[in-house]
Amino acid sequence: MKELVAYRCKKCGLIMYPKHGRCLRCKAREFEPFEAEGDARLITYTDNQTLPWGIDDRQRFLGIVEFANGVKAMGWLKVATPKLGMKLKPHWEPVRVMGGEDVYGLVLRQGK
Amino acid sequence: MRKVAIVGVGMIPFGRYESESLVEMLAMPALRAMDDAGIGDRAVDALYVGNMAAGMFNHQSAVASALADYLALLPAAADTIENGPASGGSAIKNGLLAVASGYYDLVLVVGGEKMRDVIGPRATDTVATMTHPTAEYIYGVTLPSLAGMFTRLYMEKYGVTERHLAQVAIKNHNNGLLNPYAHIHASITQEGILDSPHSVVNSPIVSDPLRLYDCCPVSDGAAALLLCPAEMVAEFKKPKVVIAGFGQATDTQTVQEREDPTDLKAVRLAAQQAFAMAKQTPRDVDLAELHDAFTILEIAESEHAGFFKKGEGARALEEGRTRIGGDLPINPSGGLKARGHALGGTGVAQVAELVWHLRGEAGQRQVKGAEVGFSLNFGGFGNNVTAFVLRREA
Ligand SMILES: [Zn+2]
Repeated sequence: MKELVAYRCKKCGLIMYPKHGRCLRCKAREFEPFEAEGDARLITYTDNQTLPWGIDDRQRFLGIVEFANGVKAMGWLKVATPKLGMKLKPHWEPVRVMGGEDVYGLVLRQGK
Repeated sequence: MRKVAIVGVGMIPFGRYESESLVEMLAMPALRAMDDAGIGDRAVDALYVGNMAAGMFNHQSAVASALADYLALLPAAADTIENGPASGGSAIKNGLLAVASGYYDLVLVVGGEKMRDVIGPRATDTVATMTHPTAEYIYGVTLPSLAGMFTRLYMEKYGVTERHLAQVAIKNHNNGLLNPYAHIHASITQEGILDSPHSVVNSPIVSDPLRLYDCCPVSDGAAALLLCPAEMVAEFKKPKVVIAGFGQATDTQTVQEREDPTDLKAVRLAAQQAFAMAKQTPRDVDLAELHDAFTILEIAESEHAGFFKKGEGARALEEGRTRIGGDLPINPSGGLKARGHALGGTGVAQVAELVWHLRGEAGQRQVKGAEVGFSLNFGGFGNNVTAFVLRREA
């Protein structure tokens, strides 16, 4: 997984994702981009059985994870049974078609 | 700053409007509010219209200009105010500040949405455009699914159960039966929505742990208020109800960036500001209209607004304290759950409901002797929240 880019404030070190124009903590404007890395721990999730227009799936598990290096992000959980606290591996894959194009995002699976 | 009063109130029943246009729908409660105050042909100085997404639902923009024209309010100033599902609260805020500052005397605030021009999944998608475009929206996240993730954590941390959630729905549907403006007039039971084998059909999972009866309906609806300086109230025919306090606060756009995702910081701050301005406390409140777009939110907001300690909202509900007749009735209107949730209409409808109670005009659902009311309008998933304290004065 290469494309989930988070930002570390050069002044106070706060990790942010997605991008902000000023640091949420110290208001500084300089950031160091870096990739989310390591296992992702599941903080919370839902079984969304009412997906919006534009997505044909009947059901998706969506969740929020925290990576070993502190980045927090939402993603699509491709697991049979999600459990709070479970460790997941991140992948960068198509998650939605918009304007005829594949849009890539965070997909999380167990194992490799 | 001048003290600001609400001298006129109007609403239309929430539900489905097939033959009226959006502007016709907004005009109806506006005229009712003007007649309620008895302003006759007197000029209105300004109009604020709370609406989230007419551009997407109805393919119409500049709604306030259209309404000013339709209602012959010209040349009154007119602005459409958009703050997601808290557009109504923000429209009232704009009216309040305009009158308080002394710039305008008579201000009409209208909130409304016509969501049912599009099919359900389209409406769900339109509402989801509030989320972060690349960090949330692309995954198919919806407001019910953000609420589902929040509910899972709240259950884990505070012991809230599906049973508690069902109790919110049952209470609010019972209240809705007493409200002629409610979208849904149906009595529901715990058996029907949770305990019986039919419950999975009656109340299927929307985004777990939330089921159908944990979620508000998609509504067409509108409400209106007429504001003036408190010293002008005697010129109209209604008792004096003032906007004693207002608060508004924002939080991170995404839920994932909150240090504690179960902490609704913007709710807490908006409520604190409103109480501080009103020089009152949550204990003074006789009734509250909270933003129960999802059952969990009524419980969580009742705690964050300061009515109950963190983790004790569900117990207060169980003990019947939040029913009509309890020591703090919450959502006597039926709330978003039963009165309905017409996005931009909701914040205005909440305040209209409070006014009726403070005047003693709320009919069968009247909270007896109500003097102080509180409302909370929740934008985004808690990232832009408005709160009001209303008070009846002599
Ligand atoms: Zn910083």
